[in-house]
Amino acid sequence: MKIKIKAKEKDGIVKVKMLVKHPMENGRRKDAQGELIKVHHLTEVKAEHEGNVVFHGEFGMAVSKNPFMAFAFKGAKGDKLSVSSVDNQGLTGQADVIVK
Amino acid sequence: MFNWRKVTGWLLLVLSTAAIAEQYNLGKPASEKVIAGWDIDVRPDGLGLPKGSGSVEEGEALYDQKCANCHGSFGEGEGRWPKLAGGEDTLRDERPEKTVGSYWPYASTLWDYIHRAMPFNAPQSLATDEVYAITAYVLNLNELVDGEFVLTQDNLATIEMPNKNGFYVDNRPDVANPRCMKNCKDPESIKVIATIAGITPTDHFKHDGNDGVAYQESAVGVTATPEVVKTYQNACKMCHDTGLNDAPKTGDVAAWQKRLNQGKPAIYNNALKGINGMPAKGGRTDLSDEMVKSIVDYMLELSE
Repeated sequence: MKIKIKAKEKDGIVKVKMLVKHPMENGRRKDAQGELIKVHHLTEVKAEHEGNVVFHGEFGMAVSKNPFMAFAFKGAKGDKLSVSSVDNQGLTGQADVIVK
Repeated sequence: MFNWRKVTGWLLLVLSTAAIAEQYNLGKPASEKVIAGWDIDVRPDGLGLPKGSGSVEEGEALYDQKCANCHGSFGEGEGRWPKLAGGEDTLRDERPEKTVGSYWPYASTLWDYIHRAMPFNAPQSLATDEVYAITAYVLNLNELVDGEFVLTQDNLATIEMPNKNGFYVDNRPDVANPRCMKNCKDPESIKVIATIAGITPTDHFKHDGNDGVAYQESAVGVTATPEVVKTYQNACKMCHDTGLNDAPKTGDVAAWQKRLNQGKPAIYNNALKGINGMPAKGGRTDLSDEMVKSIVDYMLELSE
């Protein structure tokens, strides 16, 4: 899965916005044939900065498609932020970004 | 951008404007500079693009500053503002997501639109290179170009959009009914083809044959004169086309058959004297009895 991230530092605070491309099927929707669409959602999204976890979210089927998240932490320009995600089917996503 | 049609078009416009100016002393000929201000369209093959370039990276900074407020940081669209990215493979869904990546057939439209109409609060305020940069970034949001990409006037036309082949030429004619310009029949004798949607005079041509009738699907041939049809439209249509005040709708076969069972004279009488919600002659007491009867005939004919 693809993760898009923007991280910008101002006055010692890094503001992060990120979007995980994910269908987030809740398992209750039906397709055109009337069959239930298999449940498929994120279970965990985690952001790490210099070895510290700065964002951790446990996701369920109530979260919408392509979830957008924003958070802030203390950091500096040029720092590396790495984000990883896991879904209920075991698929994972990973993305690194340099703070601007 | 030398397009002979455009050039001759402008030339004619300039010449005629000059002639009018001379005659009435009004206006002034459009200068080249004025024309250049209007002539800003960009074609899919890149015709009309000014020289310039912009990178995805430059575009990101500009986008965050000028576009992200409405279109979202990743083109996901804030609130109900337009989405710019995503929506792949949703065009056949009940609610298709039409975005640059999922729907638009040409990248040139993106450049043209941004240049022409964006940002929403200050259209045409972007410099040429800024338009290139933002276009590049929106393409990058749709994963059509990578992060190192630099867009220029030369490579814009080479970008392949995913939905490029999703459009087809609609070959239905704009107007199905040819107009008679010479050798036409006396208008009084023209046959009128009527549908519930509207009235179309056809068959204007004197000679035999069916030249005038190109569209006859679900239409009913009616012998009413144009005067009757026109009076129907002015006096009766408001209720009888819509069923207002429980009026029997023109074209509603069952409703009219019920009334026909009482015999035509009864219907004439009701139309002349009024019945239920309908005043005498539909409130148009200025109409002659003959006219009202003709209109009844016309409505019955449409409701057979």
